[in-house]
Amino acid sequence: MKSQSRTRVMVTVAMLGAVSYILAFFEFQLPIFPSFLKLDVSDIPSLIAAFAFGPLAGIAVEFFKNALQLLSTTTAGIGELANFCIGSAFVATAGLIYKRKHTRSGALISCIVGAIVMAIVGALFNYFVLLALYEKFMPIDQIIAMAAAFFPAIKTKLDLVLWSIIPFNLVKGFVVILITMFIYKPLSPILKGDHVAQNDGM
Amino acid sequence: MQIPIGSYVPGDSAVHRADPRAKLLVTFFLVAALFTLKSWYLIVALCTVMMLVCVIARINVRTFLRMLKPVLWIGAFTLIVNSFSFVGGFHFILPGFMRGMFFVVRLFVVMGSTALITLTTSPVALTDGIAIMMRPLARLRVPVEDVAMMISIGIRFIPTIAEEIDRIILAQTARGATFNEGSLLKRARAWIPVLIPLFVGLFRRADALARSMDARCYTGIGRTHLRELKLKLSDVALMVVSGLLFVLIVGGVIR
Repeated sequence: MKSQSRTRVMVTVAMLGAVSYILAFFEFQLPIFPSFLKLDVSDIPSLIAAFAFGPLAGIAVEFFKNALQLLSTTTAGIGELANFCIGSAFVATAGLIYKRKHTRSGALISCIVGAIVMAIVGALFNYFVLLALYEKFMPIDQIIAMAAAFFPAIKTKLDLVLWSIIPFNLVKGFVVILITMFIYKPLSPILKGDHVAQNDGM
Repeated sequence: MQIPIGSYVPGDSAVHRADPRAKLLVTFFLVAALFTLKSWYLIVALCTVMMLVCVIARINVRTFLRMLKPVLWIGAFTLIVNSFSFVGGFHFILPGFMRGMFFVVRLFVVMGSTALITLTTSPVALTDGIAIMMRPLARLRVPVEDVAMMISIGIRFIPTIAEEIDRIILAQTARGATFNEGSLLKRARAWIPVLIPLFVGLFRRADALARSMDARCYTGIGRTHLRELKLKLSDVALMVVSGLLFVLIVGGVIR
């Protein structure tokens, strides 16, 4: 590994945060899921950072994406907090495992475990934080009664989370893994800093 | 493609000129108070204050409402869920409707007041304000200065990177790539030939910037600012008054 200077890591993480912020604008709607659960690929830069510089860098990229989004928040920061916690769970897990097992299959395993952890953390966060906040605004029992009219399987608060948040996060994880696996290999030499720095227009 | 950074609308009103720290603190008190209060009088009073600030800041009503659009659905949903019974027959409940309205107004003021800060404060001023307020965390070895620097880099490079993404998408489209067609799998894969050149360019750019920062001996300690934030008397007064009101509301003296 060549010069992994502190400044270099810092600047790269900041820029990956900016890319992540931009990618969040290209969101697409998934069939079946409610409209506020939109899929975007903004977790890819943080995953790349977690692979290249370790789990903390991954969390940092998630932090900067959400810090930039906070500048135009429409949910008083709650949406940003949720996105940060859930995204961090994904990339931190993936980064930790990849650190131990530095191979292609290691990367794949780390991503899959990361996606599962993301789904679990997403469910926990929705159950304990978001639903608790929603209760400040609406009676949850009513929502459950309404949801039950469409999906008879939903009977409790927990069911609500299990049947919407977990599948959504798994689909999201799958898409992110798919793309990352394809782009990681061509990028890895650059990430590790082996390349000869070419002159470039700054 | 135009990527918006923050939702700042430039202007020159008392609200725009107020110190970002004062605005952040006042909004924090307001939001915290909203979550504790239960009376209609107070919530209407706070809502009026917020509207008044909007008028002073000369915020376009349309711009303001556009900011609140995502909340609109949640608000409508809340109202419907509250005012109709779904258990044991479908019927309208008046107390439920009133309760729903209360929730909606609360939601409106919480989201509206945070939107108001981002509308009247430039992203850079907001970052500086937050960085100064977080400075005590430096004692706990949190690199506050570095974090502020990194957010500034992010803000600075968003337009540059957005332009690059545009260029790459155009280049790949010229080679026959499609982005908004086909199955989920196909759409996801369409991103691969965009992301690889994007990241390669990004790492080069980051390298160059890091080298030039190192060459100028960047350490992250003792950075100076082109525009220093200075608290005016009016800012201090604003913070003290809102703090007092907050204590009185939470303490239940005003209800």
